[in-house]
Amino acid sequence: MEAQITDLFGLQIYTEKGMFIGEVEDVVIDVDGKKIDSVVVGKVNDQLFELKNYKGLKIPYRIISAIDDIVLIRHLPGAFAGGSGSEE
Amino acid sequence: MTRVFARSLSRKKIMSNDGKLIGTLKNIRVDFDSGQVIGMLVHPDSTFDTASYEMEDDKVLKIPFEAVKDIKDYIVVDRYLARK
Repeated sequence: MEAQITDLFGLQIYTEKGMFIGEVEDVVIDVDGKKIDSVVVGKVNDQLFELKNYKGLKIPYRIISAIDDIVLIRHLPGAFAGGSGSEE
Repeated sequence: MTRVFARSLSRKKIMSNDGKLIGTLKNIRVDFDSGQVIGMLVHPDSTFDTASYEMEDDKVLKIPFEAVKDIKDYIVVDRYLARK
């Protein structure tokens, strides 16, 4: 799907298991590779991440599976602390 | 390898590699499936002759991202690749 990069800003990010991650705050562009490098997450779901030791959260573009009304990313077991479900 | 934040590019000036001011960045077109950056939508500067460039509604200049040489204080584009 072809779109403008500002359409991404503010979209909610969920994993394929339905966990809310946060909202798209910014996008990192790889100028030499002419592709999207990663997505910067704002309003991070603080139940999933211990943010004290982090400056912020960036999601690499390769784990994004779909973008439309929301951004869907692959569920990485172990990447998300806490939260509901089977992972710890 | 140059990596930039998309929001930091907002209203950045675009310059051709012969030193001409082309305009200011309006938006970036991307393909969400492949993650490829396709092109830039540019507000042309009033001094810039847009005759040989691809235009949208006669207001917005479309520049393919292949033309981009580098992005630092300005976005520098190749003046031949930027044409249609």
